[in-house]
Amino acid sequence: MIEVKNVTKTFDGFTALNDTTLTVPVGAVYGLVGPNGAGKSTIIRHLTGIYRQDSGSVQIDGQDVWENAALKSRIAVIPDDWYYFNTATIKDMMAFYKGMYPKFSMERYEKLKEVFAIDEKRPIRRLSKGMQKQAAFWLALSTMPDYLILDEPVDGLDPVMRRQVWSLMMGDVAERGTTVLVSSHNLRELEDVCDHVGIMDHGHVLLERSLAQLQDNMVKMQVVFADGMHEVPADLPVLHTSKLGRIHTLIMRMNAEEATNRLAVYNPILVDAVPLTLEEIFIYELGGADYAVKDIVL
Amino acid sequence: MQSKTSFFNGTIFKKNLTRYWPLWGMASFGGALFPLAMLVNLLHGSNAFRMEPLEMREIYFNVLTYAVPVISIVYAILCALAVWGYLYNARSVGMMHTIPVKRDSLFVTNVLSGLTMMAIPYAVTGILVVLVSLAAGSFDGLGTLVTVGGVICDSVCFFGLATLCAMVVGNVVALPAVYALLNFIAVLTDATINLLAQGFIFGLNGSYSGQFEWLSPVVYLMKKVSADCEYGQIKEINNIEQYYYTSKLTSVTLENGYILAIYGAVGVALLVAAYFLYRNRRSESAGDVVSVKALKPVFRYGVAFYAAMLGGRLLYALFVESYDYSDVLRVAPLSVCMFVAGAIGYYAASMLLAKSARVFTKKSLIGLAAVAVGCVAMCITMGYDLLGISRRVPTADSIETLTVYVAENNYNLRGGQDEELIEAVRKMHQTLVNQQERAKQNSKERCFETNGKVAFTYLTLEYRLKSGLNVQRRYNLYLSEDVMALDPDSYDAAIDELVNSPAMRQRRIHADDGAKVTGGWVNSYNGNGFDLNEREAQALLDVLKQDAAEGTWGTYDWFDRDYETAYAVDLDLEFQIVDSDGRTHYDYINIVIWPEMDHLTGKLLELGLAEPEDLISRHEYDERFNWGYYDKDPEVEAMLNAYSKAATETVIGGAYATTSVVVG
Repeated sequence: MIEVKNVTKTFDGFTALNDTTLTVPVGAVYGLVGPNGAGKSTIIRHLTGIYRQDSGSVQIDGQDVWENAALKSRIAVIPDDWYYFNTATIKDMMAFYKGMYPKFSMERYEKLKEVFAIDEKRPIRRLSKGMQKQAAFWLALSTMPDYLILDEPVDGLDPVMRRQVWSLMMGDVAERGTTVLVSSHNLRELEDVCDHVGIMDHGHVLLERSLAQLQDNMVKMQVVFADGMHEVPADLPVLHTSKLGRIHTLIMRMNAEEATNRLAVYNPILVDAVPLTLEEIFIYELGGADYAVKDIVL
Repeated sequence: MQSKTSFFNGTIFKKNLTRYWPLWGMASFGGALFPLAMLVNLLHGSNAFRMEPLEMREIYFNVLTYAVPVISIVYAILCALAVWGYLYNARSVGMMHTIPVKRDSLFVTNVLSGLTMMAIPYAVTGILVVLVSLAAGSFDGLGTLVTVGGVICDSVCFFGLATLCAMVVGNVVALPAVYALLNFIAVLTDATINLLAQGFIFGLNGSYSGQFEWLSPVVYLMKKVSADCEYGQIKEINNIEQYYYTSKLTSVTLENGYILAIYGAVGVALLVAAYFLYRNRRSESAGDVVSVKALKPVFRYGVAFYAAMLGGRLLYALFVESYDYSDVLRVAPLSVCMFVAGAIGYYAASMLLAKSARVFTKKSLIGLAAVAVGCVAMCITMGYDLLGISRRVPTADSIETLTVYVAENNYNLRGGQDEELIEAVRKMHQTLVNQQERAKQNSKERCFETNGKVAFTYLTLEYRLKSGLNVQRRYNLYLSEDVMALDPDSYDAAIDELVNSPAMRQRRIHADDGAKVTGGWVNSYNGNGFDLNEREAQALLDVLKQDAAEGTWGTYDWFDRDYETAYAVDLDLEFQIVDSDGRTHYDYINIVIWPEMDHLTGKLLELGLAEPEDLISRHEYDERFNWGYYDKDPEVEAMLNAYSKAATETVIGGAYATTSVVVG
């Protein structure tokens, strides 16, 4: 289990993480979402031992990550901008990873060679951005990690390869119980793969729940009120409202059943509960946190 | 493959060496060229490298003294850049700190990688040299061992400093810059402070004192460590059974070799300091100029300091000295110049630290005020000599040696041996510093002016103290004949009294100071001259001492009054002096020969170095052979008349006035 407790980190007076707490259960696929500058990459760098927190604790399986080589040998990381040695080929990097990670599997490396189909003797700097990303996955998955920490992992990959890569990771989750923490802006994609979601803003985790809980906690109601009632009653707890013709669309922080009951009081002509997408949850949650982009998105 | 030793990681070590093989490969190739050249020489039958083992040791030690520090200082920073370069890029530092290895292990592995990269070229070169010298029969085991030790010490020292710099900075460009600065900061600071101080402080005239040279290893090593060779006379016989003597190398030791060991130990200490910095290094500092928070003010004010000192002096030269020709700096304008330059440095450093040009904040004004206070304080301290530097005359018991240059001659005095002379010099020095205001005023008023009544002279005093410190003073003085005659308490009289004292006359020709006369020249105005061998020079020196003792030689004439009565022949003597550090210097003195110097003139005639007709006065010589001759030559006379006529027609005017010809 990944546990980040009350972590604070400042850079030259700027607070990048502010009392951040985050928990990723074992075997979960955890999507970390948030606007640019929310602190997602910073928390990932703490989880991979690059940064040291000013206060709080960063633990995996009950052990501090900082300076814990044994623990780090069980973690594979793919940052948004993967680093490779300047003149290295995939084969060179494989030799390096093999030397560094005790569980590195040559068998898996050979199997993945067929999946990625990249010339392992070509210098990595000569590969396209997407191919470099594939190389990063190839090597990361060959280390047989218990924890896979990914920062914008599929940026630059074509749709087929994205599916291929997610399929490989989901296979690891299913077969080996790998825990995945993934930060991404592609909420549509996360919705398909994540079972847990954390939303960050201003260096703080606003909420974290399982996707089911999250979707159950907020609902989009489409309502047509009876004649003479043109506005949404003021006593309804509505996060956001919009109107198209006579149809009111209400975003309410409650489950569908409760929302239906609350609306029933006004004898609407039509009431329909529509599940929110992760993208909508993200937008409305952050809308509550004064996220500046909301007007543009809406 | 993970190493079982937690402090070493074989994979990273291998990665470092294989990734940067062009660096050590090229260096090895360059080093190997020298032994290969030796081999080619030997194969072609040349005897250039067929030498005695001791001669080979001398070469080893010379290479160790002069070449290895220079090579190491450059090569160490390249190796440090190779192994620590990842710290300066957010991507690479992220990767290296993500892999499952502790920082302890990463540090030790990188240090060992860097030192190995440094060692390989030296090892390749050394092994090849040993093989070639074995083939040539010139192998010297002890010399090889000492050289290997010296190379290791140099390598550890410079790589240790480069590693410490690597931990202090966060930018790949800053690393070599800071490394170069730290290597020469002592010399630079010394020269910078002296540059300003000598403009204020009476007698401070050297641009560099060398007090802190030990902080610049490459400078100190090249100055202090050397091959100490001793030669003996060997009697040999040639193939026609004639005996002859040759000079043969009998001993070669590495003088001050312990300094290398000290620097090696310092290198280890620097590596330990770097280790602690690395353990606490923040990965997010990649890209910063300075990565250690506590050192950021040091950088900011350090840049301001050097900018104020160097830039301030430059601004002063450009905007003040262009109309004020005084050789004494003025406090107020220099303070302003230093503040302007210091402020530029202060904000430039702030911009580098902040990686932004937005540094002109209200908060920054506090720092700017500190820069202003520092500049003014420094100028006032130097301008009014608050530290009393100009008034300092070392006490007699603190002096180990005293070197005096006055009246165109050098005097070497040793504490415990020349107590009376040292005391006499101190007394004269004290008189001079007490009257420094008059001396400075004279310098100002009599700039470029000398005549029969005023003489210009240099006086240099170099005290080497028992504490190891050097006190150097140099004075540019105008001496007045009237003051010298009328005021016995004046510095003019004090200098004259010292220079013309019997003891100093003897010392002028190095009597009893351990110097050895090694040769000389007799120069006649008529163009004849003789080179003197050591025996002839010694014979002439002996009789010169008699003349000096009898008072017929040695009175220094500051005002050149009777110069024309001296003989038109003079004598130069060359002296070899071995100083307290064991270093050999040469001093040359010129002896003007006066008719009263019976002993010297007699010896010159006796040795056939002069003929009676050479011993005529300079005035007489000029009369007879120069002007007198030309006056009688009709052609010269015609030429002189032509000049005389031309001189009556003078062109005046030019750039600022109408040009006209005046006849008269």
